[in-house]
Amino acid sequence: MKDKKIVWFSAFRHVVPADYENWLEKMAAEGWQTGRFRQWSSIYLTFTKGEPKKYRFVYDPQVSPRKDYVTTYEQFGWEYLGRMASAHFWRMEYSNKRPEAFSDTTSIVQRNRRTISAVSVGFFIFIALEILYAVLLTVFRDSLSASDRTQLIIAGAFFFILTMTLGAVMLVLRKNEKR
Amino acid sequence: MMSLEQARRRYLPMSETMFYILLSLKQERHGYGIMQHVKELTDARIILGAGTVYSSLGKLESDGLIEAVKEEDRRKFYIITPLGRGILREEALRITELHRNSEGLL
Repeated sequence: MKDKKIVWFSAFRHVVPADYENWLEKMAAEGWQTGRFRQWSSIYLTFTKGEPKKYRFVYDPQVSPRKDYVTTYEQFGWEYLGRMASAHFWRMEYSNKRPEAFSDTTSIVQRNRRTISAVSVGFFIFIALEILYAVLLTVFRDSLSASDRTQLIIAGAFFFILTMTLGAVMLVLRKNEKR
Repeated sequence: MMSLEQARRRYLPMSETMFYILLSLKQERHGYGIMQHVKELTDARIILGAGTVYSSLGKLESDGLIEAVKEEDRRKFYIITPLGRGILREEALRITELHRNSEGLL
C-alpha cells in the first residue's frame, strides 16, 4: 500500500486560500496528513497516510508577524504547521462547529489581499527580469552568438509565462477576495 | 499615532468586531481574553477568530487606539487609550441615535 503522496504545485492548483484550506481538509479527512509546511511547499508538498481526521486548516499570509502572533493562535487552540513563503499554516481538530480564524468579512478580505500582495512581489520581480532580458537582447544584439541569443530568448519566454501565470493568479484572487 | 480626525475617518462607523474589541479593552486583556469576553457579552453570537483578533489588535495599536500594557508568557495585554475612548464614545452616540430612530420597528 502506498503511504506517501507528493503533490506538485499545490498552491497553483488551489490558488484561492479558502480553496487551499478546503483541499487540505479533504485530504486530512481521507487520512492524508501533511507534516510541516516549508518554504517550497507550494511547489512540492508531501502527505503521509494516517488516520482520517477532521481538521480545519487556516492559510494566513503574514510577512513579519509580531511576537504575539503564534501565542495568540495557540491560545485559541490552533496548532502551528509552519510557513510556506509568507503564508503561515494552522490547523484545529473539530467535531461540530467548524472553527474560523477570520470571523468577519473584513478580515477575510484583508487576508486575501495580503495573499495578493505576496503574489505581486513575484509578479514584479519577473516583470523586472523581462525588462532586463529585453535590454540585454537589444544592447548586445550584434555581439551575441546565435546560440546565446536563443538561450536568452528561451529564458525570457520562460519568465514571460511565469509573469502571466502570476498575473492570472492575482486576478482570480481579486475576484474571490470575499471568501 | 493618528489624530482624532483621522481616527474618525478610519473607524466610524465601526464594525461590530472593532466595537467589541475596543469595548473589551476598557479593562486590560489579551487576545484570547477578548474573545471570551465578547462571546459572553453577545450570548455566543459573536465568536472572534484568532486571525481577526490578532490583526485588529495590530491595527488598533499602530493607530494609537489601544496600547500594550504588559507581557506574560508571551501573551500581550492591551488597554484602550484616550483616543480609543473618544472614538468608542462617538460610536456609542451613533448607535444610540440608531436605536432611537429604530424604535417602533419591533
